[in-house]
Amino acid sequence: MSGANIDNEVYIVGGGMTEFGRFDGEDQELAEQAMREALADCNITWADVDFAVGGTNGETKPDNMVARMGLTGLPFITVKNGCATGGVALMTARNGLIAEGRDIAVVVGYDNHARGAFAASPARYGIGDWYGETGMMVTTSYFALKIRRYLHEHGIDERTLGYVSEKAFDYGSAHPLAWRRKPVSVDEAIDSDVINAPLTRFMFCSPDAGAVALVLARGKRAFELCENPIRLAAVELRGRRPGSFEVFSPWLSTGERTSPSIDAAQAAFATAGITPDQVQVAQLQDTDSGAEIIHLGETGLCANGEQGVGYLNGDYKIDGKLPVNTDGGCLANGEPVGASGLRQVHEVMRQLQGRALGQQVPNNPRIGFTHVYGAPGISACTVLVKEGANS
Amino acid sequence: MSIQLVDASLFASTEPVALQGSACATCGAHVFPAQGSCPMCAGVDVSNVALPTEGTVWSWTTQNFAPKAPFRTDEFHPFSIGYVDLGSVIVEGWLLDKTEWVIGEPVRLALAKAWTNDDGTVVHTYGFEAI
Repeated sequence: MSGANIDNEVYIVGGGMTEFGRFDGEDQELAEQAMREALADCNITWADVDFAVGGTNGETKPDNMVARMGLTGLPFITVKNGCATGGVALMTARNGLIAEGRDIAVVVGYDNHARGAFAASPARYGIGDWYGETGMMVTTSYFALKIRRYLHEHGIDERTLGYVSEKAFDYGSAHPLAWRRKPVSVDEAIDSDVINAPLTRFMFCSPDAGAVALVLARGKRAFELCENPIRLAAVELRGRRPGSFEVFSPWLSTGERTSPSIDAAQAAFATAGITPDQVQVAQLQDTDSGAEIIHLGETGLCANGEQGVGYLNGDYKIDGKLPVNTDGGCLANGEPVGASGLRQVHEVMRQLQGRALGQQVPNNPRIGFTHVYGAPGISACTVLVKEGANS
Repeated sequence: MSIQLVDASLFASTEPVALQGSACATCGAHVFPAQGSCPMCAGVDVSNVALPTEGTVWSWTTQNFAPKAPFRTDEFHPFSIGYVDLGSVIVEGWLLDKTEWVIGEPVRLALAKAWTNDDGTVVHTYGFEAI
């Protein structure tokens, strides 16, 4: 902690997560399950919580979770920021604890999506109907267009996409809460049905159901509640600048390429005083196999172009130099939008505490990183640090 | 009779076909479709401009499944879409007549049939064809 005032430090002290996949009940049933599990994880009750933040992309109101959990009068903030919802919820909770001098916050994210790709309305994004009527308002084609260009610019072999899928389903198959638990080989991934070239059926995540909750505590209180509190060393949110390449864009600028992921990651590392090469376990937004490749480069976890050799070497596997998406990521877990970013933090928390539900990263990792990214061009990144005798 | 278009505001003209963008007097950025402000520099001194009609493929993919509504078509067949670098701006659109492309391939703007209305009128959109 290098002499920082512990009263201004926020720690993750508990977590709860439902199984991800198809769910027939109400989304708030899932949220309640995750919240109760998170509270039990650090031996507190809802009455001990003095601040809450919840996120969903659906129609229910997260702040109405108090009807299920108890009318304790606590302030409950709702966020709705697409794929970045989890990161924004975490940031809101952290800032609330510090700014208002509160001790304990619960953060929850949940969703229960209908089958199939998201249907997007042009008007909601300020685009004319023509864009949807001509079949261009499609998230999956955006992913394909973006990775095609990235592979071209950085000289990466298309087969790398198959290695990403193989890794994801390998770790998903070892994780008791993952949705997709059947391994897929590199060749199977590459040779399966093309959805949007070069991306195939095994290279996309699908919307599904799930909920995750975390308990945050400020200062010394964290060490009373948890043996191994995980310090939220940074959580930074950034929006797009000119030159970024976002979904639902009828045009792009010709100048220098930027990305909110680059900006959010740089800010998170700067705030934490950590460099990307110190990260020992990471979670990256992998809505498709290409996204994981792009985000490795954009977050600075590797140099752009290095990924081709990196995947061949197994660098991003559990026993590699930088394990990425150790629970199978979005590819194996699907994406309940509100829950997805918190799933990442939950997985990294458990990896750092040495209690992974799936495969455990060896050699006691101490420094973790998470990254979410979504429409209309926002990204949130965290740096997570295990505190201990040697810190 | 004038040609039926998916959205007339996308076009500066149809004979010859040209797309209408807007140009920012402050920073020079071109955007498509035309809009009343500049997202690049936040300027508001913008005017409509006909965009170049030839460029090169910047990226491309295929649409192998029929998109959900509001997509309209008479009969779905897989098609290509791409981003085309027109020099001043990179524009997204259909890539016409084939489903295999190469980044850097030269293309030119063309009108393409989008769907047929109930009254039999053919509605057109824009696309890019190989030169």
